[in-house]
Amino acid sequence: MNKQKLTNKGDTIKVLIAEDNVVSATILQKSIGGWGYDVVVARDGEKAWKAYKDKNVRLAVLDWMMPKINGLDLCKKIRENDHNAENKQYTYVILLTAKDQQKDLIKGFSAGADDYITKPFNHHELKARLKTGKRIIDLQRQLEEQADRDGLTGLWNRKRMFKLLEKEINRAQREKQPLATIMIDVDNFKRINDTYGHHCGDAVLLEVSSRFQKCVRNYDEICRYGGDELFVILPNCTMAMTQRIAERLRQSISEKKIHTDLDALDVTISLGGVSSEIFFSKFLPETLVIASDEALLKAKSKGRNCAFIKN
Amino acid sequence: MSELKDLNVTQPIDLPSALERIGGDESLLQELINIYIEDFLEKNHLLRKAIEHRDFTTIREIGHSLKGSSGNLSLIHLHETSYQIEVAGKEEDIERARYHFQLLNQQFMKLKDFFPSLSHQTLE
Repeated sequence: MNKQKLTNKGDTIKVLIAEDNVVSATILQKSIGGWGYDVVVARDGEKAWKAYKDKNVRLAVLDWMMPKINGLDLCKKIRENDHNAENKQYTYVILLTAKDQQKDLIKGFSAGADDYITKPFNHHELKARLKTGKRIIDLQRQLEEQADRDGLTGLWNRKRMFKLLEKEINRAQREKQPLATIMIDVDNFKRINDTYGHHCGDAVLLEVSSRFQKCVRNYDEICRYGGDELFVILPNCTMAMTQRIAERLRQSISEKKIHTDLDALDVTISLGGVSSEIFFSKFLPETLVIASDEALLKAKSKGRNCAFIKN
Repeated sequence: MSELKDLNVTQPIDLPSALERIGGDESLLQELINIYIEDFLEKNHLLRKAIEHRDFTTIREIGHSLKGSSGNLSLIHLHETSYQIEVAGKEEDIERARYHFQLLNQQFMKLKDFFPSLSHQTLE
């Protein structure tokens, strides 16, 4: 058996097996685990629902007849949850059915099942159907990614930026850690576009994004706020640290020309930052965006190519 | 081909089919048979009580569960008899349940008798 872990964006794909029958559950656990998936086994519908809520399950194999919550109702609950969850993600559901339940399959698909396997199931068939499920999950992930990415730079887009901010604010408040943000604007970007054309402006934005990636910590997030404005989210970051990171970003652009098809350009950026340390009460994503924007205006008024951190 | 047919009729397990179902892993099959036996004994006790109390829901559920386990292991006779018990539960037919309960136990004893030889001749 292939023991290599199957991953999805670096995480092992978690498969929920909901099966009350001990023999079937063991076969499923050994087989699916042996194919490199991370397996969670639940022996009744209620435990399966809890496992689904607690773990990051992407594939679920549900027996139809189970104590407490049957597979059909569990499938409906999963679909409802996938749809309503803040961080929407799709769970691929395979129903396990006995041969004499085949006539009921339409109910299974109506409940939101993606596929079914008839019991007693065959090892090879199960493997093939899981592979199909994994392919769908991978495609779903790609779509989710594309919906949240900026088409030019590949950075998180504005919609995703606000979601990330909300998540990080919750975390910061829960863990009582500071959260910082920096708004960045390319100095005289309009002039670059007007002089060299928009494709040169695009090349500048791409290069700025690329240099930024090398300057931040791996858990920081870089987003395109709009036009030539970028936005960086820095979890657990004090005012002093924000100042240092902002300076590093500034230097990464000013110290080396940006090469475009037409010319090598001297580009500078202005940065405005804020750390939540300065807020005495609860704050919202908009609070950080507005404060960073105000700090950016201050940096611009100081003559550009500089970083200003609000205090 | 005729050998395989004979084996299906006389032996409690269709071994080639059982192995095919789990990817040919003989040690896993042995482990699963042990799990099945343990599970069967527990369920058999509950089934006896359910028949005594004419608890048709439990009869049906246990029949369904044993049908699933025996089907996965290609225990052909036990699979068929478990199915009959499930049907007896559904149709609330106590005579049918009693008859197949006895048959189930006879078939289970055959399985237990068969296993030392299976373990010796085939799985090792």
